Amino acid sequence: MEGRADYIIKRSLFAILTVFVAVTINFVLFRALPGDAVSGLRCQHCTKQYKAAMRRELGLDKSKWQQYVIYLKNLAHGNLGNTDVSHLPVRGQLWDPLKNTLMMLTLGTVFSIIFGLITGVVAAWRRGTWVDRGSLWTALAFYSMPTQWLGLMIVYFVADRVGLPHGGIQSPDLGILGPPSTWAYWSDRVEHMILPALTLGLVLYGEYTLIVRSAMLETLGEDYVLTARAKGLTNFAIVRKHGLRNAMLPIVTLIALSLGFIVGGAITVEYVFDYPGIGLAIVEAIAQRDYSFLQGAFLLLTISVILFNFLADLLYFKLDPRVTT
Amino acid sequence: MRAGKMLAALAVAALLLAAGCGGSSSGNGGGGSGAVKQGGIFTLGTTNYIDTLNPFNYIEAEAVTAYEEVFPELIQLGPDLTTYEPSFASKWSHSADYKTYTFTVHSGGKWSDGKPLTSADVAWTANTIIKYQANAAAVLASAVAHMTKAEDPNPTTVVFHYDAPIDPQLALSNLSALYVLPEHVWSKYTGNNGADLKSFHPENSLPLVSGGPFEITKYEKKGTTVFRPNPGWWGPKPHVDAVALVYYTNSDSMIADLKSGQIDAVDQVPYTAVNALKQSAGIKVAPYKFGEFTNITWNSNPLKPQNRELLNPEVKKALSMCVNRQEIINVIYAGNATLANQSLLGPFAVGWQSPSNQTLSYNCAQANTTLDSLGYKKVNGVRMVPATTGKYAQPAHPMSYQVMVPDSLDFNGNREFTIVQQGWQQLGVKVTEQAGGDSSQAYAIETASGCNAAKKTGYSKYDIALWDWFSYPDPDFQLSTPTTGQWCSWSDTGFSNPTYDQWYKQEGTLAGPSRKALVAKMDNYLSAQWIYTFLVNEKAIAAETNAIGGFQAQLSGYSYDYFNTVYKK
Amino acid sequence: MTIDHPLPSSPSQIEENAEGLATPRRPGFIKNAILTQPQAIIGLVIIGVFVFIAIFGSYLEPYSTTEKTGPVYAAPSSAHWLGTDDGGVDMLSLLIAGTKVSLEVGFAAAVVAMVIGGAVGVLSGFIGGAVDILLMRITDIFLVIPDIPLMIVMAAIFGRSLRNIIIIIGIIYWTSTARLIRAQVKSVRERIYVKRARSLGASNNRLVFKHVLPQVAPLLIANTVLMVALAIFAETYITFLGLGDPSAISWGRLIENAFQGNAVLNNAWWAIVPPGVCVTVVILACTMVGQSLEDALNPRLKVGHLSVRRFRLRPLHGKLEAE
Repeated sequence: MEGRADYIIKRSLFAILTVFVAVTINFVLFRALPGDAVSGLRCQHCTKQYKAAMRRELGLDKSKWQQYVIYLKNLAHGNLGNTDVSHLPVRGQLWDPLKNTLMMLTLGTVFSIIFGLITGVVAAWRRGTWVDRGSLWTALAFYSMPTQWLGLMIVYFVADRVGLPHGGIQSPDLGILGPPSTWAYWSDRVEHMILPALTLGLVLYGEYTLIVRSAMLETLGEDYVLTARAKGLTNFAIVRKHGLRNAMLPIVTLIALSLGFIVGGAITVEYVFDYPGIGLAIVEAIAQRDYSFLQGAFLLLTISVILFNFLADLLYFKLDPRVTT
Repeated sequence: MRAGKMLAALAVAALLLAAGCGGSSSGNGGGGSGAVKQGGIFTLGTTNYIDTLNPFNYIEAEAVTAYEEVFPELIQLGPDLTTYEPSFASKWSHSADYKTYTFTVHSGGKWSDGKPLTSADVAWTANTIIKYQANAAAVLASAVAHMTKAEDPNPTTVVFHYDAPIDPQLALSNLSALYVLPEHVWSKYTGNNGADLKSFHPENSLPLVSGGPFEITKYEKKGTTVFRPNPGWWGPKPHVDAVALVYYTNSDSMIADLKSGQIDAVDQVPYTAVNALKQSAGIKVAPYKFGEFTNITWNSNPLKPQNRELLNPEVKKALSMCVNRQEIINVIYAGNATLANQSLLGPFAVGWQSPSNQTLSYNCAQANTTLDSLGYKKVNGVRMVPATTGKYAQPAHPMSYQVMVPDSLDFNGNREFTIVQQGWQQLGVKVTEQAGGDSSQAYAIETASGCNAAKKTGYSKYDIALWDWFSYPDPDFQLSTPTTGQWCSWSDTGFSNPTYDQWYKQEGTLAGPSRKALVAKMDNYLSAQWIYTFLVNEKAIAAETNAIGGFQAQLSGYSYDYFNTVYKK
Repeated sequence: MTIDHPLPSSPSQIEENAEGLATPRRPGFIKNAILTQPQAIIGLVIIGVFVFIAIFGSYLEPYSTTEKTGPVYAAPSSAHWLGTDDGGVDMLSLLIAGTKVSLEVGFAAAVVAMVIGGAVGVLSGFIGGAVDILLMRITDIFLVIPDIPLMIVMAAIFGRSLRNIIIIIGIIYWTSTARLIRAQVKSVRERIYVKRARSLGASNNRLVFKHVLPQVAPLLIANTVLMVALAIFAETYITFLGLGDPSAISWGRLIENAFQGNAVLNNAWWAIVPPGVCVTVVILACTMVGQSLEDALNPRLKVGHLSVRRFRLRPLHGKLEAE
């Protein structure tokens, strides 16, 4: 017990330190890019004087060290500042795209789990046969596909055939003359989420297949199963009752890890499907050198990665009490 | 009966006057011409977004499209995109010395909240910008360049005073960017030395107080912005009930929505999609006049440290002659472009261009001959430039360069580079592509770090780039870009010549025929320097379904008719 | 297929299981490992075919890869077996040229990652102590830097050439190799010290070092094969974000061209399908071979399979090697 509390404290401290290091690295990283939010402006009124004035306003004329100190001070007060490009509060600007991505990722994870459960159970049940091998090969094949390519393929071959949109998050004719009804709004959103989530689900389900399959196989090899079989239960009933329970913890752990992985996986999907999530927002902010937004976004992402990994660690700790640091 | 008849006649006369006062632009059915259906929603798809509803902060061109619809303007460009037509102003004149301009504006106008719209608003807007032009109002400063003060002697007259003579075309061009703001709303935000003007977010209090044909009832920067007719509008009423401007990041879903009829029109179809779209039933695809023209940018910094043979106009001309511009038009633009002439002023400033500018024919044989005559012999297929002596002495080196291609082009820059590369291969000139990155990076590559106009450092790291310019009806802006004053700013060539700088200074103070003559002289001079090689004039392409009519795609950002003349069938 | 590992395990479990490598490797171990598993053979054959195409590609290309040799977006025909792209360039030639670049980047980046990761892992595991802690902290820092901005910044600063992309991929993905090798080295070193101490009374560092490396090599090779798959994958990712070398034709570039050139709109499936199929097949093949190697090394090792996606996804302090 003591060891465990100790471990948690140690890990939390380390997590905080990591956040700090991450924050600093992010501060430095974007400023390594040539130019700033102002230098690339190519509008007719963007004269030298205008750009100089903009720089003063954004605090970009101060030394990098001064900017860093100001940034840290603001952060300590929970103030993420305003974006360099639209001068709107970073917090608000982060929340909308993040919400969109979270929804899409959740749906995608649901797809993954469903596909994984079905293929994993079937593979375990028919272990050693071509069904088993076929499931695994298919899962691996999808896993090996570049996400953006699969997305393109789905747009090309599937979208029109099932009448789903090619991209975006909202139909152009929604809510023009007045606010749309809640049902219309959400069903429209879901319609736009399905294909991106499906893409994500397909490329990621392979892992769930493996987990489910091994959990099932392990279960099927247990001693108490022999007893159950002696009692007359079929394989399938055993699998259903005990196997799924075994698979739960690893699945949950995997989900925790996946959710900490918001940006990398989502970005290609968001790009292909024109889905306004956090990944797309970040790529655009980089192009516009919107330091404030980027710092806020990466703080958020780093914290979420650390948080979810910490969670996954705790789950693992629970799973295997032999493990110590 | 006579009184009645007289009254009737007076009524008709009044109606005619009102119609005349209100009708300035062509093609609208103001007053119900019967053939045009009223009502419906016009949905327009675009890949450009309105970055802000506050004119003091905007950067994106699409924001101007929105301002044209909600803020009155004295004048606007007509469908030919060259002559200015009356808008809020019905007529104008200038003094003989070109230092005073007087505009007569419509009477009886109202803002959407019912308050009167008069010349006072115009004067207030102009004076406010003049007052804060150095900082808060810098974005709109060009509208009041050289203006000392604006007066409104009566509700229908505005007088602008300038400190130097200003050519009418330039004055009108500048004033077309004067978005008239409601004084009763914006005068509250002049605190903090005008800084409050920039921090005011009109999008938080929609619909914003509008003086144009539409008001904005919904605004999403990267989503859909909705325009509804402004009941207080003095001019010809729009035909539709609403205009929805829908933003798309990726043109594929935009065009998919067009094909399925979810949107009615698209303002700019990507060149790679044109042919496929033309084959779709029920979609009309048509090119329209557009100001963008593409170029090869030559580093013309007289102090550039390497490859100084590229400062020689003869060399640049020879290289330019072996670029297959027709192939560029066919392959990259699917035929939707025309050959550009060698004027920096561009296709919209036709009246200002010098008639004796350089022309460019496609003739690789002649190019080879020229390079041969300059003594650049081919060694293993690549020409060698002999060593030079003197202040900027260079060792012998091959004609092998990098061409910078930015990411932010609206056409396939990589393919354009390939075509240029293939052409120059025939001349024994080797080029490789350098990825330019986004706008900021690309500019950084051209100007080089530590760019300093006073110390004349910069423009030392690149030789050739592929980019584009936008043309304007008034030549002033384009003429400013190769001045020494624009080093590290608008200048991408690093060109610097004291005589040219002098001419530019002079040009700003001339008006009338003397200005025209000077502009032509400057244009001709630049053309002979070959600081740019102009490749093609792009045509933009709009697509619409059969559900609408009256859409004039070329008017985006130039006139309120862009939305006003559209009707649903 | 013998993929029946459960969820990848914690480093302590890895260490425990690594002790299962009881016997020193016999020469020809790898050959043995491969020849006994059919999927490994299939994988090798597939990789071999692609390598052949990569090497002899320029003789196989029917048309130029830069010139317009047909109509824009022409459908497959007898003249152009895979049709043409948005510039009228023959797709089959592009695909063949892309093989060379993609494989080149894949192998080179994997080598870079292996060299860095291997070096860090060996040093960390062998020397231990402060060096170990320092190197592991550096590894953690690399994990904490978000990969997309790192790619973008490096591409912006150093330029977008093929060489830089290889370096970028190597720098971003060396961490998992490092951890794996470190765990392996640690356990092997312990056993060998104990053995030698018992038999000779005093251990000779250099000799121990000589013994550690051969134990580590097979694992390193297996990991490198998987890393090749990862690198090819990463290259398509980087190119898709617009950070690729503009003058290099790779499969990732072809996918990006299809996207930017509105291939979907032009109903040009031939511009979309082939490059992705090539990437998928090669990655599958590498995974098959790498997997077989790891299986042969130690079925209990339970280390990262399905490696291509779990890049950048890892907890700090390496509790879970979700590779």
